[in-house]
Amino acid sequence: MTTIASPTPVAQSRSWMRWLPILIGVIIVIIALAVLPSSLLQSSIRLATPYILGALASLIASRSGVLNLAIEGKMLLGSFVAVATLYRTGLDPSVGVLTATLAGGVLGLVFSLLYLKLRINLVILALAVNLFIENITVFFMRVSFGSFGTLADPSIRGLPSIQLPVIADLPVAGPLLSGYNLVVYFSWIMVIVVAVILYRTQFGRHMRAVGENIGAAESVGINVTRVQIFALTISGMLAGMAGSFLSIGVLSQFVEGMVDGRGWTSIVVSLFAFEKPIPAFFTALFFGFSEASSFYLQSRPEMSLPPDLLLAFPQLVTLGALVAVALRIRGNEILRRRRFVAQFGHELSNLRSGVVVGDVPPPKAIEADTDGSEHS
Amino acid sequence: MSEQTGIRRTLETIGVALLAIFLGLLASSIFVIIAGSNPVDAYQRLFCEGFGAKGCQTFGDLLIQTVVDEDTGESQAVFSLFYGEGGHKLALILERATPLILTALSATVAFKAGMFSIGMDGQFVLGALAAAFLGYWLPNQIYAIAGITDPELAPEGLKTIMHILMPAACLGAAMIVGAFYSWIAGFLKVKLNINVLISTIILNAIAVQFVGYMVNYPLRSDMNNIARTARIDDTAWLIPFNRGLFANADIEWFSGSRLGVGFIIAVIAAILVWYFLYRTTKGYEQRMVNGSPLFARFSGIPSSRAMLRAMLISGALSGIAGAIEVIGVERRIVDGFAGAGSGFDGVLVAILARESIFGILFVAPFFAGLEQGAINFQFGNLPRQLGNIIIAFIILFNSMEYFLRNRIAAIWRKRHVLSSPAAPAPTEASS
Amino acid sequence: MTNAVEMRGIRKYFASTDTLAVDGVDLAVAPGEVHALVGENGAGKTTLMSILYGMVSPDEGEILINGKQASIKHPNDAIRSGIGMVHQHFKLVPSFTVAENIMLGVERNTAGFVNARAESNDVRILADAFGLAVDPDQKIEDLPVGMQQRVEILKTLQREAQILILDEPTAVLTPQEVNELYTVIRRLADSGRAVILITHKLLEVKAAADQVTIMRRGKRVGTYPAANLTINEMANQMVGRTVLLEVEKQPAKPGEPVISAKNLLVAATGGVPAVFGVSFEVRSGEILGIAGVSGNGQTELVDAIAGLRPVESGEIHFLNQPITHSSVRERRSAGMAHIPEDRMETGLNLKTTLDENVISTSYHRPPFSRGWRFQFDEVRSFTQRVIDAFQIKSASVSGSVRTLSGGNLQKIVLGRELNGHPKFIIANQPTRGLDVGSIEFVHKTLIAERDAGAAILLVSVELEEIMSLSDRIAVMYEGRITGILDGETASEQEIAILMAGGHLPDSVPMGSPS
Repeated sequence: MTTIASPTPVAQSRSWMRWLPILIGVIIVIIALAVLPSSLLQSSIRLATPYILGALASLIASRSGVLNLAIEGKMLLGSFVAVATLYRTGLDPSVGVLTATLAGGVLGLVFSLLYLKLRINLVILALAVNLFIENITVFFMRVSFGSFGTLADPSIRGLPSIQLPVIADLPVAGPLLSGYNLVVYFSWIMVIVVAVILYRTQFGRHMRAVGENIGAAESVGINVTRVQIFALTISGMLAGMAGSFLSIGVLSQFVEGMVDGRGWTSIVVSLFAFEKPIPAFFTALFFGFSEASSFYLQSRPEMSLPPDLLLAFPQLVTLGALVAVALRIRGNEILRRRRFVAQFGHELSNLRSGVVVGDVPPPKAIEADTDGSEHS
Repeated sequence: MSEQTGIRRTLETIGVALLAIFLGLLASSIFVIIAGSNPVDAYQRLFCEGFGAKGCQTFGDLLIQTVVDEDTGESQAVFSLFYGEGGHKLALILERATPLILTALSATVAFKAGMFSIGMDGQFVLGALAAAFLGYWLPNQIYAIAGITDPELAPEGLKTIMHILMPAACLGAAMIVGAFYSWIAGFLKVKLNINVLISTIILNAIAVQFVGYMVNYPLRSDMNNIARTARIDDTAWLIPFNRGLFANADIEWFSGSRLGVGFIIAVIAAILVWYFLYRTTKGYEQRMVNGSPLFARFSGIPSSRAMLRAMLISGALSGIAGAIEVIGVERRIVDGFAGAGSGFDGVLVAILARESIFGILFVAPFFAGLEQGAINFQFGNLPRQLGNIIIAFIILFNSMEYFLRNRIAAIWRKRHVLSSPAAPAPTEASS
Repeated sequence: MTNAVEMRGIRKYFASTDTLAVDGVDLAVAPGEVHALVGENGAGKTTLMSILYGMVSPDEGEILINGKQASIKHPNDAIRSGIGMVHQHFKLVPSFTVAENIMLGVERNTAGFVNARAESNDVRILADAFGLAVDPDQKIEDLPVGMQQRVEILKTLQREAQILILDEPTAVLTPQEVNELYTVIRRLADSGRAVILITHKLLEVKAAADQVTIMRRGKRVGTYPAANLTINEMANQMVGRTVLLEVEKQPAKPGEPVISAKNLLVAATGGVPAVFGVSFEVRSGEILGIAGVSGNGQTELVDAIAGLRPVESGEIHFLNQPITHSSVRERRSAGMAHIPEDRMETGLNLKTTLDENVISTSYHRPPFSRGWRFQFDEVRSFTQRVIDAFQIKSASVSGSVRTLSGGNLQKIVLGRELNGHPKFIIANQPTRGLDVGSIEFVHKTLIAERDAGAAILLVSVELEEIMSLSDRIAVMYEGRITGILDGETASEQEIAILMAGGHLPDSVPMGSPS
């Protein structure tokens, strides 16, 4: 029934194509800086945060060979847990981020155990987990807090904006790079951290080996299951943190189903970025920009650009990217075949041609063995 | 040549499903307790409200209720599942099950050709959009051409013809739109090997946003707070039983429900899909492609064509589901409209039914009943979301069974081998 | 001197395929020795080595490493015991560098981070010590296959392997790379390591091994000093010796050519040529047998003729029509039948029923269907006829095929493929894994089809089968046909010479290398 096990061909792609998303990102940033109002840019950067963290969550999992389709659910859990924690304890908002991260991690761990130990079909498992979280959050919202639709309270404080010293005073860049909340900065740091883990540590190397050639990893004694459990747990933590941003990083409230497809989009962001952290960062910025401009345009009816279509635009781009990558792979195949024919077909035609072996050659006497040695 | 339903296999599957339901309820009862209710009471309410007759209070009442005859004082046992005094549960359940049956069929057709498409949501909303547009626009065009200013005054003959043609046009258009949208994902898979799951998720998002745009801008009919399209013309309406066919029959069953021709279409679709998959050469091709791709290629079965055909049929079914939701139930699309979850619920139904057509006809009403029952949780202290929590658990337990069964089979095989006196010699080994 | 490896009475039964893969095999390898393990595909040599490397656990038997009992339950245990294995399909991560691959699992860490420079250095030192030049910083995906294999060998040496298992090491190498490999193997043996070479290429044994153990059908046939055995003798011991009842057959009455292949070039999955300039023709009423050690291009040749693999150059004509690029269905409709090598995966769909299996090639035509509709009466009666004619036991028309035995499964395939007397039949290993009774049945059926006028291409690694059925015998070696002999007069010895890549005096080698 499933055709999901292998990651999409995107992962294997190489050469200049891998720089394309970065290039697009850089160009967009430059144009954006020049043309767009800084409030829009700021909100773009802010709204990219869940995509950055979600994409990191997705790429960590798929780099270790598991397509994590439950990011949507893990994000939603994070959103809820963050608000629930603050509502109950009244503690500092950063505690909410912490509990959301932990909750995402726990869910990731359970998910990995159900998948790796009980061998539940990955897609079915993900669909069930997403369904479960979608409903359990609302369930507890009502049962524990008696709220309907929205869980909000003055006692829930959102994450405060932090002005970075020195950077905040820079011209142009200052307002763009400063004045965000904790999770935003943290997501930037995480891009670097995940890149370093993936490419510079033993664990990251093991993850990539497991994802790319599970047989190779097994043959040198790497415990594949353990690597994947770790990866899914970390992936869950990142998704949980992304969720906390949505709830206490923007409005300091929880709304039913507030993740609203961002988990799925995060998977697409990571695919678009060839499952690499730095490109994922820029791709996420692009998606954040789309979302921000959609809100921006909504607040300006005189511009009469439909926000729904703007929201669909990144999706269309993603589909186009998937097609482009697939076409390139197909092209390489054709090229390889052509090269094969050119090389060996040529060799063949150099041989005596036209000998059709239709006739029965007369049996021959055998005089000697091939290697001439006689065994007694 | 049959859907592989040996009696033993069927019983096993049903047994496992019942076990999964039981375990799902058991696991969910943790949350009932957390919410401060008694699980037994809660589930009695769930099933009585979902499936039972009006007076239903306990599990026992679900099947048979004791009614005391007021005149004679004698008590009498009455069969009460789905029906009873003022009850219309079955009609409600079937109304809700209609789109589920169609989208679950849609998922099943795709799955059975080895395509893990979950694009039902996108195809559903596009189908709905096509029907909502045509159901309003086409009759108006016809009136305009015929020079009729007030539809009320249209000649009866024309109206009768339109009553047949308009719904057919809406359904047909929805089928075509859904099929085309599904075909895109199939084409990307067959030609470029792009993961169907990912592409259908993206396509879903695009479709939902596109429909949102259409409802909010070009097709917005009035300045109602929530954007909505114009109401479809009466001639395009698939009139519910209680207003149409059975309007005068005074059958309590249909009172208050919008159950109608759509349900009959869904059941006919199920029969046709079953017939197609198990009784025609084209359906055979699709099943063989999924069962063993190598075998299909070796036998000369046109695999790509079979996969694309499956996607077309799958999309058409979801499109019909969307159309029925519009021309049979809602009569317009309201921004973020209620039926929109049906696509995804259909995937869940298909998974629960293990891709069995026969199973879908049971699982979809069960799913719908659970949903209905869960709505009534709210009158206790329980949120209706408990219904979906139960479903999530049932899905988990139901799919764990694959693993459990294999485990048990493997252990059994191992024991069997060890206990046999001597393993067969290699020459006879596979004979 | 104690043996580096000693395996005693190893036995392994696979329940999933119901085969006794290894049946009481003993093996002893001394340090400094290159020990070849030869046998046909499925002879059990790879299973035996998988047991030694801890990837498969044996049902019976014990393993001694350097004279001491060893419990090897996992590749980690094997690595710890000083065993290294170079798999036929390399276990390398393509996007990693040489050093990253070699150090995978044994990374050099500095302050929590992988120290890439130290790893490169280590690898360079290691490579120099064994004279295996590699660039530690190159990526695997950019390296030729021979270099990748070198990396695999270095990987085992980095883990201080004293016992090296090389699984079909020359399968993917060019002749020059093969020679380099032989030198490396010898050097490793000279340094006191034990090298086990899994292969079915007999020239390789003569070129590289000190000792050779021959396996057939899970059993050890014998162990000999490699120098004492000719290639012919090895081939004789390797190939099937099943005692078959003499197949009664009349001399062939060949008619018109039915199928002809000219100068075929077919690529293997990896992109190297698998079939290189093969030409032949088969006439109606005759059986052309293709003999050869497996892996010499037979599978690819059959796939190309059946339409399952593209022909890169050359032509195939069937009944005077070009079919080089025709689809499987077009070929089958023209009268081609194919009894495949792998009946479980390719020949049958085990998930479905008997009737759905027997109609898979003809379901789209009358009488089984008209338009889209199946004619169930026809399907049922045809299925019943197949069951009766082929005496398929304990089978019902719409029953599952999963529970049937190998012989009965093959009968289903025959029933389907021989329906309507095809003009050309490809029979690839038609009796593999069958019992004697079923083998005889298959043979008789094929002869009957021949006598009814079919052209048959029989591919088999069982020499006995080739010799008793074929009217002409073509021998394949390294993707070429090295000779075609008359079935009546060909001797086993002649075939064995051609199978090993040798030439018969005066005979014209077909498509010999330039």
